[in-house]
Amino acid sequence: MATSRDDFGIAIRSALLQRGAKQKFSLFVLILISIVIFAVDNTEIKPVKVLRSLINDSIYRVSAISSSPLRFASGTKDFFVKHIFIYEENEQLKTEIAELKKQKFNTSYLETENKQLQEVVELDKKLAFTTVGAKIMLDKNSPYLNSAIINKGSNAGIKLGMPVLSKGHLVGRIVEVNYISSRILLLNDLNSKIPVVISPSGDQAILSGIGKLKPSLEYLPENFYPGDNNLVYTSGKDGVLVPGISIGKVLMEDDRMKVKLFTDPTQIFLVNVVLEQQTDLEAM
Amino acid sequence: MALNIKIIKESLLRLGPLILLIYICVSEFHTQFYYWKIFSFNLQFIIIYYWILRDPSILGYGFVFLCGIINDVILSLPLGTSPLSYLFVSLVAAYVRNATVRSTLFTDWFTFVVAILGGNMLTYFLIKNFTEMQTEYTSVFYDSMFTFILYPFFWGIFELYKRFIGLRIYD
Repeated sequence: MATSRDDFGIAIRSALLQRGAKQKFSLFVLILISIVIFAVDNTEIKPVKVLRSLINDSIYRVSAISSSPLRFASGTKDFFVKHIFIYEENEQLKTEIAELKKQKFNTSYLETENKQLQEVVELDKKLAFTTVGAKIMLDKNSPYLNSAIINKGSNAGIKLGMPVLSKGHLVGRIVEVNYISSRILLLNDLNSKIPVVISPSGDQAILSGIGKLKPSLEYLPENFYPGDNNLVYTSGKDGVLVPGISIGKVLMEDDRMKVKLFTDPTQIFLVNVVLEQQTDLEAM
Repeated sequence: MALNIKIIKESLLRLGPLILLIYICVSEFHTQFYYWKIFSFNLQFIIIYYWILRDPSILGYGFVFLCGIINDVILSLPLGTSPLSYLFVSLVAAYVRNATVRSTLFTDWFTFVVAILGGNMLTYFLIKNFTEMQTEYTSVFYDSMFTFILYPFFWGIFELYKRFIGLRIYD
């Protein structure tokens, strides 16, 4: 028994301390360095933050270049898969076109009516945000994080917490800012919690990422029942996000109130980071 | 001249696993092989475990540490999380190498469980206790499971590669 414990001790000690063939560092030294780095990185010291930001910027660039062959391979595979299912898609599109033709007449009437109403209540406002356009460099869907990295950072005026739009709809917010790159935390990430308001009822809720494509709504009023056209907008209650940015449509799925996002977070390529909200005068 | 080219070729072949490890850490490998929110595997663990166990002269601990740092930056984890996890895997591999006289696929495979569980639990513990990040432990579980299942497949590939390097060096 004692001999077996001795053997274990000797083997572990040897594994930790022995440098062996062509090894410049022992495992023990590197484990100690890792612990020190981990401790230092968790502190909020400015020089460490600057250093981390520089490391991030350089590694993101290298990563964007090195991952291009993988992305090309993935794109090619998608291209062939799409072609295989093209007949089925064509049939589906024909049905959709027929339905849309039917709806066209209704839409035309509603459009006219809507325009008249907008003129009455003076709601015809343009996009009321000052934004900066950016391109997705890397998108990460790991078990730990659903995020994307964009090619703009503090050099373009981006700050922590700023909302990010794709095609005018919210897709996430900035959680990391480097000098020439930033990280967006996507709405479907587990760590994403956003205060929202549901239209037309005006009910408040928290849009919470669950690691799947459709985030869920939490803290809804008890008597809330989803209608056909319940849309979700940012409420701006946190004081960080601009209120009134469209997010998605409420639906009931798996006995849970979820939101079908207007923009699929896995398909974003170009985004707009909202720098600030314009005044009504500027917007006009 | 011809001898120099041969030496360079052999050196590059010996660097193959290291280049692969750095490449998968830097590139979006994890994203590309993350299907149906279930299927993902940690190829870094497999490479580190196999090469530290079988031929430590191919993969230095310093490079394992460096790859961990790169992985942390890419995945936005606190610096030091992945190096600790990778070094734990290296520690298990080094221990198994020291403790066993003759290793087979099955001994490697079953001791790999300790390395995967320890490595992932270490990452999970650090994230859970020292950051505000939330993690889906079911995803981590699936990741560990597929890493374990796929080990023999990569073991076979690496064995062939090792023989190929051997032939290149000693032919």
